[in-house]
Amino acid sequence: MKQSALSIDDLREAVMRLPDDSLTATREAALASLDEQGFPSIRDEDWKYTDLSSAIDVSNRWLAQGAKTESTDALRKSIKAITASIDAHWLIVANGIVDLTCFGEPADIEVEKFSDSATPFVMDRPLADLNAALLHDGLRVQVHGATEKPLGVLLIDETSGGAGVTQANVDIEVAPGCDAEIIEYQVSSGSEDHYANSVIALQIDQAAHVSYVRIQNRRAGHIQTARLSVALSADARLNMASYDLGGGLVRNDVDIDINEAGADATFNGLFLAGDGQHIDNHTRVEHRVGPASSSQEYRGILNGRCRCVWNGKAIVHKGADGTDANQANHNLLLSDHAEIDAKPELEIYADDVKCSHGTTVGQLDETALFYLRSRGINKRQATQILTHAFAADLVARAPVATAKDAITALVEKRLGELIKEEDL
Amino acid sequence: MLEINNLKSRIGDTEILRGLSLSVNAGEVHAIMGPNGSGKSTLAQVIAGHDDYVVTGGEVTFMGKNLLDLEPEERAREGIFLGFQYPVEIPGVNNAYLLKAAVNAKRKHQGLGEVDAFEFLKVAREKMALLGMDPKFLNRGVNEGFSGGEKKRNEILQMAMLEPSLAILDETDSGLDIDALKAVAEGVNTLRAPDRAIVLVTHYQRLLDYIEPDFVHVLSEGQIIRSGDKSLALELEEKGYDWVREAANA
Ligand SMILES: Nc1ncnc2c1ncn2[C@@H]1O[C@H](COP(=O)(O)OP(=O)(O)OP(=O)(O)O)[C@@H](O)[C@H]1O
Ligand SMILES: [Mg+2]
Repeated sequence: MKQSALSIDDLREAVMRLPDDSLTATREAALASLDEQGFPSIRDEDWKYTDLSSAIDVSNRWLAQGAKTESTDALRKSIKAITASIDAHWLIVANGIVDLTCFGEPADIEVEKFSDSATPFVMDRPLADLNAALLHDGLRVQVHGATEKPLGVLLIDETSGGAGVTQANVDIEVAPGCDAEIIEYQVSSGSEDHYANSVIALQIDQAAHVSYVRIQNRRAGHIQTARLSVALSADARLNMASYDLGGGLVRNDVDIDINEAGADATFNGLFLAGDGQHIDNHTRVEHRVGPASSSQEYRGILNGRCRCVWNGKAIVHKGADGTDANQANHNLLLSDHAEIDAKPELEIYADDVKCSHGTTVGQLDETALFYLRSRGINKRQATQILTHAFAADLVARAPVATAKDAITALVEKRLGELIKEEDL
Repeated sequence: MLEINNLKSRIGDTEILRGLSLSVNAGEVHAIMGPNGSGKSTLAQVIAGHDDYVVTGGEVTFMGKNLLDLEPEERAREGIFLGFQYPVEIPGVNNAYLLKAAVNAKRKHQGLGEVDAFEFLKVAREKMALLGMDPKFLNRGVNEGFSGGEKKRNEILQMAMLEPSLAILDETDSGLDIDALKAVAEGVNTLRAPDRAIVLVTHYQRLLDYIEPDFVHVLSEGQIIRSGDKSLALELEEKGYDWVREAANA
């Protein structure tokens, strides 16, 4: 099957229509690069399971309509509800436009717009090019000290008047020795088709500790491609948990770069998929030096007709002795139509290395199900209880306490919907 | 209360119960003994409704209802309780949560509202004290990391909370220390009432010293080959099963 192509001419027009500012040169360079490289296709090893045709289709329709992005009347209300549900210093990118109205004035966090800064931002891949080419503006954030509230990054999309395409780009640096809590929340609604493409970079400086929570709760049918790149300096620590609840086609790329010794990256994820969802989590850890450790556990709960992908890659470079890398992916398939492609990949070029990986794909434990039913609990409730138990472990590992209640509520709600979908 | 008539059941291609009949009336305590692999747990699981076991013949009625028509959860709500020979560990499901969900399922079936949270905890703690269980077990995962004896006590705790009409206890005495055996026996004896019945599956006469049965049955190769009073258990302890089998074949 041939993948449709992005109409570059329309895209060029859209880029020209963006304000002429300090980003213009970068946008044009990105456009040229994208034109040359083309969109990722399923012929690329990294995109084998995830076909972006629908993202191209939405983009072309959006471009054909003049690349206009109008907000719905309800957008402010949605922002209010989310920022009220989790107490944080919120940086917002709403329909691709940066918005600092819910940020407050934290003493230890500095924010500047890309357009106000001389530092260019880097692009190295087609989706980053697309992001740069169409970017209204991005945010550069410096965390200097421990703030009493977490830093929130809300990427929210709610457009009207035809298909929508939005870009978000946020660059965060956590200064040496700081403890920071960060919440990334990606959400969308509205009746139009939507494609959201985001790039977030996180630099964790020496001996800094970051607790990071990612929530993705996009509307059914919406498309997300999101790249999070984390670079860790000496003795830096990342403790992260991701929750993918919604969306139609979702592709998350998490890149972890361990550049100096003593770093530790723990990142876990939970994805819940039902009818019509495709959720792809690609993770990649580069152990460039040792000793250092990385550990990830992703869990998936799939019901109905859906497909998920987990691809965890760990690369231990030559000389990165003392590396300890663990990866695990466990999946619960509640329907015969649910499909998972789980693939751990290890590339080891160093000698003194401890690596482990494990993946499991299974149904609910029948013995446990019967045990609960023999106590008078009906099959649907028993299924629910056991599925919740499978998810609860990862909810408990959410490293940002302020966000825990919201995550618990979202996960419970989504699980309730998922299990209803099944004909029990 | 429970009428089993010529029950036949298989798992996979293997026939395990081969025409078993048993009648249990309200107020009675029955003990079922028999060699390993004779079908005791199979009988218990069939009564509880495990669908790995296919019933190929016979009838089972419970308080006048055709039991075989009911789902496992319906049987439980009608008042049947099975204490498992091997209780399942369910990590991530809180023990108190399960107890409460089970109690509420039954109450709903009886047309009652949900149990008051405070009252529920109070009763649960009382029953645990009676069974010599630390209240902290309420907050652990169901049977998660419990020792063998702790799992059995937990089964009895569930039984005590659910107050079933018919309790079938599958080797609840196995793996218990002497204090636990006494505590469990006390738990069972507390439940003894004119409107309830208890079926004990056991290998040991010792349990029957604490819970005195009205009837003792020997199950062998999927059939009950002999029934008697409590003296049969003593006789079995002394002579083993061979003589019963020989007598049955004669
Ligand atoms: N899932 C199964 N698949 C095949 N055979 C089974 C299965 N479950 C039970 N059986 C067989 O059925 C027979 C009866 O088993 P059951 O567990 O009822 O015996 P039991 O009388 O309870 O024995 P014990 O005293 O050892 O507990 C055994 O031979 C057992 O191997
Ligand atoms: Mg048995």
